Amino acid sequence: MKIKLLLTVFLAVVLGTAQVNAAKIRVVTTLTDLADFARNVGGDHVEVRSLATGVEDTHGVPMKPSFVPLLNRADLVVLVGFDCEHAFLPALLEASRNPRIQYDHPGYVDCSKGIAPVEVPKSTDHSEGDVHPYGNPHYMLDPVLAKTAVTNICAALVATAPEYEADFVKNRDAYIAKLDGKITEWKADLAPLKGVKFVSYHEHWPYFAARFGMVYFGTIELKPGIDPTPRHIENLISSMKEEHVPIVVREPQFPEKVPMLIARQTGARLVTLPIMPGGVPHIKTYIEMMDYIVHTLADTAAK
Amino acid sequence: MTVLASAWMAGTNVLHAQETNEPAPAARPASEVEQLKRQLREMQETFARQQAGQQQQIEALTKKLDAVAQQQTAEAATSPPPASVTPEQFKKLDEKVDDVVAAQKKTLTSEFNPAIGVVGETIFSQQSKGSPPNGTGYPGGFDVFQRSVELNATASVDPFAKGWVVINGSADAATGETSLDVEEAALQTTSLPGNLTLTAGQFFGEFGRLAYIHDHELPFVNRPMVLDQYIGGESKTVGAQVNWLFPTEHYINLTTGFGTQFGDEPDAAGSYRSFGAVNYFGRLSTYFDLSDNWQLEAGVSGLFNPDSGNINGALQPDGVTTLTETKRQLLGGDLRLSYVPLRDNQFNSLTWGNEVLYSDNHYLASNTGGGSSFHDAVGAWGMYSYLTYKWSRTWSGGFLFEYLQNDQDSAGQTYGYSPYLTWAISHWNQLRLQYTHTQPDAATGNKPNDAVYLQWIWIIGSHSHGWQQR
Repeated sequence: MKIKLLLTVFLAVVLGTAQVNAAKIRVVTTLTDLADFARNVGGDHVEVRSLATGVEDTHGVPMKPSFVPLLNRADLVVLVGFDCEHAFLPALLEASRNPRIQYDHPGYVDCSKGIAPVEVPKSTDHSEGDVHPYGNPHYMLDPVLAKTAVTNICAALVATAPEYEADFVKNRDAYIAKLDGKITEWKADLAPLKGVKFVSYHEHWPYFAARFGMVYFGTIELKPGIDPTPRHIENLISSMKEEHVPIVVREPQFPEKVPMLIARQTGARLVTLPIMPGGVPHIKTYIEMMDYIVHTLADTAAK
Repeated sequence: MTVLASAWMAGTNVLHAQETNEPAPAARPASEVEQLKRQLREMQETFARQQAGQQQQIEALTKKLDAVAQQQTAEAATSPPPASVTPEQFKKLDEKVDDVVAAQKKTLTSEFNPAIGVVGETIFSQQSKGSPPNGTGYPGGFDVFQRSVELNATASVDPFAKGWVVINGSADAATGETSLDVEEAALQTTSLPGNLTLTAGQFFGEFGRLAYIHDHELPFVNRPMVLDQYIGGESKTVGAQVNWLFPTEHYINLTTGFGTQFGDEPDAAGSYRSFGAVNYFGRLSTYFDLSDNWQLEAGVSGLFNPDSGNINGALQPDGVTTLTETKRQLLGGDLRLSYVPLRDNQFNSLTWGNEVLYSDNHYLASNTGGGSSFHDAVGAWGMYSYLTYKWSRTWSGGFLFEYLQNDQDSAGQTYGYSPYLTWAISHWNQLRLQYTHTQPDAATGNKPNDAVYLQWIWIIGSHSHGWQQR
C-alpha cells in the first residue's frame, strides 16, 4: 500500500512538472540574440530560454546537463546554423531525446536559411584550424542579415502555432521596422569609419565589416580556435604598422593580454565589443548590443 | 560695359587714323567733328541693340531648358513603376537560393558517408625496476608503446537509429604484439518514445564516470587502478542497455543493461548460458547547477553477475591457493565538482573528480596442493580522486590520487600518486607528461614503482565529443 502511494505521488510530481506552462510555445535558443528575436516575435505566446547567457564564446557554450530537460520539453530549438554550435548542440540534442527538435524536423529552426555565407572554405582540413565547413557563421553581427533570422523564427512560430499567425507577423514587421530605423542610424554613425581597418581576436566580424564599409584586416588567433604563436603576433604587428590599422577589437570571452600588447605596439586603440547580448554588462537586447558596438567604434574613431 | 566699348571704339578710330595718315582731329573742320560724333552714336546704339538681342536670346534659351527639364520630371513621375516582385516570385527565388546553399552543403560533407576519424596514442615511458600494481611484471627501463590506433566511424542508420564502430589496433603492454580488435560496434535508437534510448551490440556499458571513456579521453595517462582491477579497464560489454531520461525539470538519468561480457571478463562466443550467468549493470546519475560557473554531477552504479562461471582463476601470493570467481558484485559512487566559468571556459576551468568502488566478489578457493576447496567472499574497496586545473587554452595540470584493495585479498593495498601536465597544442594534438609512483604493501607481492610517461595523442578526420565525453 505504501509503495502504491509513493508511486502515485512520484508519478504526479513527474507528470505534473511536465505539464507546467504547456500553453505557451517553448522555445530554446542557443544564443541570446536569437532569444531576443524570439521574444520580440513570439510575444506572450512563447516562453523563451537561451542556453548561453551572453558572456560565452558562441562556439563554446558549456554542455550542462541542466540544459537536457529544457531541450527535452522544447517545441523549437533556434540556432545560428553554419555549424556555429557544433561543439555543444549535437550532443545536447541527442541527450534531449526530443524528436521534435532533431535536425531536419520542424522544431529545428536553423536561422541561417536564406543567408549566403562568406569565407566558405575550399577544403575542410584541420590545418586551417577549427574550420566551419559551411562558411563563417557570425552573420548575426550584420543587422541586415539578422532580419533574415527574425523572419525564419517567425516562420517557425507560425508553422508551430498557425492560430497566432497574425500576432507573429505583426510583431515581426514591427521589430523589423524598428531594426530598419536603427540600421539607418548605425550606417550614419559609422560613415566616418568607411575604409578604416581593424583586427579582432576571432573571425567574428566579416559580415559586420562588409555592411558598414570597414576593412577587416585580420585576426589575432592564428586560425579559428588556435591560439596565436609568437611569430604570428610579430607578423600581425608588423603588417598593422605598415597598413596603419587603428583599431584592435577584443571579444570579451578572450584574454586581454595579447590584444593589449598588439594595441600598445601598433598604437592602435583597443576596444572590447560583445558578440551577443549579455556579453557586456547592461546590454540585454540585440539593438542595445548593436548600439553599443556602433557607438564604441564611432567614439574610438572620433578620439 | 558701355564705357569699355566706347573706349575701344575710340581707340580703334585713332588707330585707324594713324594707319591712314589722316590729320589730327584738332585740325579738322566742325562739320567733320559732328559727323564723327554721329557715327559714334550710331555705333553705340547698334551695340546696345545687339546686346539686348543677345540677352533676349539667353533668356529664351534658359526658359526652354527649364521647360524641357520640367517635362522630363513630369514624365518620370507619371511613368508606370517597375514591375513589383510578387510573393510567389520571391518565394521561388528564395527556394532557388536555398537549393544552392543546400547543394553546397552536400558537396562539402558527403552526407551519406559516415563521419570517420582516427585517434593515435603513443606513450614514451621510463619505469623503475619494479612491478606495476597489477603484477604483470614490466622489466623496467625505457619503452615506446603505441598503445592504440583507433578508427571511429559513425552515422545515422535510418530515421530511427544511429550506428558506430570503433576498431582498435593496439599493442600488448607486455609482449608488444599488435592486435586488431573491434572495441565497439553498436546501434542506438534515436526516436523511441518516453525519453528512452536503446543501445545494443558491443559497446562501453554505462558504469561509473570514467569506465566508459576511451583511454585517450582520460584526463591522465593511465586508467585508474581500481577501474583496471575491479572492472577490467574499459566497461566493454556485449549486450544491450536502456537509458531513460526522467521527464522532470531536474536532470536525472537512469541506465540499465546486461551483457555476456563486462570489462575484462571474457565472453565465450557461441557458448550458451542461463540468464543467471549474465552481467547486469546500471547507473543513476543527476546534476546540480551550484551557480552559473559551478557544477556538481553525482551518480551511483552497480554491476551484478549471479554466476560468473568460475572464471578469473588466479594463483594467490601464498603460491598454493587458487581463487576462481563464482559471483561478481560491484557497487560504485561518483562525484564530480567542476568550475567552468561561462565567459572563458576555454581558457580556465577546475575539475575535481572522485569515484569509489566496492567489490564483493565470491570465489571458490582451491588448494593446488590437493586440499579441500571452499567458497569465500572478499569485500574490497578502492577509489581515485583527481584535480585538474586549466589555466590557458593549451595548458592544464593536475594530480591523481589512487587507493586500491586487492579484490581477491583485501589485505593487499596499493597507493598511487600521479602529478600530470597537459599541453593541448590544439584540439587534435595533445602532449601529456606524467609521473606515477605506486606504493603497494607487502601483502600484494608487488614492489613500489616509479614511472615517467610522455603521452602523445593525435586525431585526424572527424572527431566530436558526445554527451558521455563532456
